[in-house]
Amino acid sequence: MTLSLQSLVAEQRRAQGHALMLSALAAAVLALCAVLLMGLSGWFIAAAAAAGAGGKAAVMAFNYLLPSAGIRLLAILRTGARYGERLAGHAAALNALAEIRPALYRALARGRPEAALALSSGEASARLVQDVDAVETLFVRLSAPWSAAAALVAGLALTLLAGPVPALCLLAAMGLLLVIGRLLAQGVSTEPGREVQGATGELKDAVAAYLAASPDLVCYDLEDRAVAAVMAHDQRLGQAQGRVVDGEALMAALQAVVSGLAVAAVLLAARDVAIPLAALAALSTVVALEGAAGLLRAFERAGAAAEAERRLNEVLIPLSEPARSPDPFGVRDLTLPISGGVRLAPGVRAALVGPSGCGKTQMLERLIGLRTAGLEGFAIAGTPLARLTPAFVRSQFAYGPQDARLLTGSVRDNLLLASPRASDAELWLALADAGLEDRISAMAGGLDAWVGEGGARLSGGERRRLSLARALLRPSPWLVLDEPTEGLDSQTEALVIARLEQRLARTGQGLLLVSHRPAPLALCDRTLRLADPVAGLQPLATTAG
Amino acid sequence: MRFPLSDHLAAGPRASRLGPGLFWVLDAAGAVIFALGLAGAVTHLAVGETGGPWPWLAALIAGALLRALANFAAAGAGARRARGLKGALRERVLRAALRTPAGQAAPIGERAAAVVDEVEALDGWFARFEPLALAARISPVLVLCAIAVASPISALILVGALIPFALIMALAGMMAADAARAQFEALGRLSGLFMDRVRALPMVLAFQAEAAEAAKVEGAARGVARRTLAVLRFAFLSSAGLEFFAALSVALVAVYAGFNLLGLLPIPVPEQLDLGRALFVLALAPEVYLPLRRLAGAYHDKQAGQAAAERLARLLDGPAVPAAGGEGFQDAPDIAFEAVRLTYPGGATIGPISFTAPAGQVTVLLGASGSGKTSLLSALVGAAPLSAGEVRVGGCRLSSEGSFARSVAWAGQAPALAPGSVADNISLGRPGASTELVATIADKVGLAAAMAGRAEGLATRLDERGSGLSGGERRRIGLARAWLKPAPILCLDEPTADLDARAEAEMIDVLASMARGRTVLIASHSEQVAAMADHVVRLP
Repeated sequence: MTLSLQSLVAEQRRAQGHALMLSALAAAVLALCAVLLMGLSGWFIAAAAAAGAGGKAAVMAFNYLLPSAGIRLLAILRTGARYGERLAGHAAALNALAEIRPALYRALARGRPEAALALSSGEASARLVQDVDAVETLFVRLSAPWSAAAALVAGLALTLLAGPVPALCLLAAMGLLLVIGRLLAQGVSTEPGREVQGATGELKDAVAAYLAASPDLVCYDLEDRAVAAVMAHDQRLGQAQGRVVDGEALMAALQAVVSGLAVAAVLLAARDVAIPLAALAALSTVVALEGAAGLLRAFERAGAAAEAERRLNEVLIPLSEPARSPDPFGVRDLTLPISGGVRLAPGVRAALVGPSGCGKTQMLERLIGLRTAGLEGFAIAGTPLARLTPAFVRSQFAYGPQDARLLTGSVRDNLLLASPRASDAELWLALADAGLEDRISAMAGGLDAWVGEGGARLSGGERRRLSLARALLRPSPWLVLDEPTEGLDSQTEALVIARLEQRLARTGQGLLLVSHRPAPLALCDRTLRLADPVAGLQPLATTAG
Repeated sequence: MRFPLSDHLAAGPRASRLGPGLFWVLDAAGAVIFALGLAGAVTHLAVGETGGPWPWLAALIAGALLRALANFAAAGAGARRARGLKGALRERVLRAALRTPAGQAAPIGERAAAVVDEVEALDGWFARFEPLALAARISPVLVLCAIAVASPISALILVGALIPFALIMALAGMMAADAARAQFEALGRLSGLFMDRVRALPMVLAFQAEAAEAAKVEGAARGVARRTLAVLRFAFLSSAGLEFFAALSVALVAVYAGFNLLGLLPIPVPEQLDLGRALFVLALAPEVYLPLRRLAGAYHDKQAGQAAAERLARLLDGPAVPAAGGEGFQDAPDIAFEAVRLTYPGGATIGPISFTAPAGQVTVLLGASGSGKTSLLSALVGAAPLSAGEVRVGGCRLSSEGSFARSVAWAGQAPALAPGSVADNISLGRPGASTELVATIADKVGLAAAMAGRAEGLATRLDERGSGLSGGERRRIGLARAWLKPAPILCLDEPTADLDARAEAEMIDVLASMARGRTVLIASHSEQVAAMADHVVRLP
């Protein structure tokens, strides 16, 4: 099934069609009322003045009831329309939001897992959230064209009463406003917005780098230099933000200038018609051009929204599903592309060793279905990995990575990710086997203790052990552990290894282990040496094996 | 209402809201000129009086241009004001965040968010809300005065409609504030949840929990949408009230002016309008309310700013690591930890711990992560959450000195780097150190060999993250710097983490040479490091 953002948005447009239509209708009524109210008022005053000057007979002949009642009716109608527009517009946007995010999440999960790996950095995921926000603002602005169109139509109808030339003046002014506004938006809004994004990310990185090393700052009198370095990024951010504001302000200024010129032109064109009609034409021109404000704001955001759409579409490319998916039950042997191909029988415990940076972590990620490129030489039960569905491949492994990102939530949330129906007793057992039982039971709330954002309330070693406990809970044929005991003291390490030994003996699971510490290697009955970087592996940046 | 951060904000003319506020007032003045031009042009169109409509049309266009300029200038001045205030505030927040004692503070991610995002959340408050609040007091009065000159009764009508308008704004503001703030936080949590699950997606995929997690995101999103709508229904009602009175007052003025011109008013009034005055009043009537509507539009900025300001005030008024004081020790002192207890936020405590690190010897603190090794080391520089006990260095008490940072050479797991060359960063340990000395030390910690592959060697430029260097290279810069610093106490945090057995053995030789003549404290979980120590303290 192919999925693009456009189709997702289109689907929501259909789903929220009712509310969107109501919002557009209300926006149109609103613009119409605003133009008519001002135009009619102007005409009424001017006509009343003419009648008042014309003597008693003229006053008696003047029908004042209808216009004055109309003015009051329009005032009430305008209020109702405004309420309806805002409520319906936001209802559509909010309800669409509630559907688009989960749909996007499902689409991401179906997409290439490399995209998911790339998104696990803070910068990339923040970018994604902002892109989603940018697309969502499209919904609130969907009524803007209707509003502008209604204002234009009402304005044209009223100016036509003063003659075709004033109407043409209004039409030309509206056209000019929208064309220049569009060009201006492309020129001044898109690029600075991107700069703000980049500068914010760099600022945050710089701050985090110094926060992580505060003893250095006091020991080496570094604080002032640190502050200067951070504030240099603050300057860049401020400059980019200044350009964004200038762009927005230019748009407001454009509207004021065009409006002034248009009214002057309309008045000149209407110099031969009756004064009430000239007043009507002038005032309705002012208000009709104000009706374009929403559309101009939509232009400003259109660049950012289009770019957001493009980026979101890139991560939404769905994976083409391979043909085969064998019977999901039972334990199977694995084939790894090491020294011409190594076959591991079910239940084997193998250690994967090699120098730092030789690609051990990437090899594990390929094996367990988190990468789709470079799968040559990998196989499960003799079937090449590339021909198996990711769901089947992933079902074969329980993964405890080197530095797992935990879910923001409780200890329980994190453990249940691996085994949604596990009992508390099973959870505690897994924690005990990972050497974390004492620490968690000392935390307020126990299993329900909050681990903070991405596990920030735990130390690095504790995060790793919680991630190990999570892997232990998953009843898959193979357990894949990357540096499971790094950061443990030797006593705890010995305990974790002994518990792991018991667990493996009980479950009959196979083990694939990466460790540079010698103690865990004792669990393994064979050693696979990964000497040279595996062909096709990219140079490693952050995922050192 | 007092702004929670008022004590921490920069003062002075550049911080004043007067500049951008007055530009907004200038916009109202432009509206007056525009209305004058419009009314004049309409009345003089066909009359063919001397000069005709031209001067009036010129006023009309001048009014429009003035408005354009005022709008542009107000936005720019507001942005510049916000930039200045945010910059000064960010610097203070950053210093406070850097000086917050470890353990007492929120995690690094939260503090970084305070410095960047929370300060940024004040942008709308500084740039728009405050200047608009000023303009909302001046501009309506200005416009009303102009109207009163043409027609006092119309001005009275507008004031009469303005009072319920202001009442509604105040009332709606108070009632909506709490609900809206709660909603604002719920929305924040929602986007937090979505972002979190996106970041954890590789793990979610590995555990095949994508359906369950998507359902969680869906449930949360629907709940927030439902609650937000309930709040909005109310919030929009108040803005509809504003809208109603704005529209009604225009209608009232139009009807009044029309009947006045017709001479059909049911009660006698002491003024007789003409067309010009009536049109002027009509064109200006909506402008009375525009500043208030702009202010209402910036209400969201106020909400966001208020919440952020409260959180920032807590950080700014919180405890701080004392600045390095005192003379510093000449000779290696002994260090005694006496019944030291560490208390972390959330109430977890470690200790009491007592031990002595003898002068001029190597003491290794051995323990698992989370046993408080790093916190104990950072107590020496005043950066630990000490809740009880005392640390004595050479007989001086930490509780009276605050910090021994002058006498401590520190090498942590992720050293702070200043933008500059590698050599610059090393010589931070001894400002003014000769190039040869820096090169010698870099060679001794194995950094020279690691950097040899780079064209510029030790002159390689670094940014504050040390981009382009490996974690090991960065740590070696920290070691070289600590070696260079002429301080009698050396603190090393996990100097051999992530090293394989051979590299660890080499590093231990380096540590032994660094240690000569100093009192050394090493936090480690490695038995090999413990083997080189004169004393080993095993933490429970």
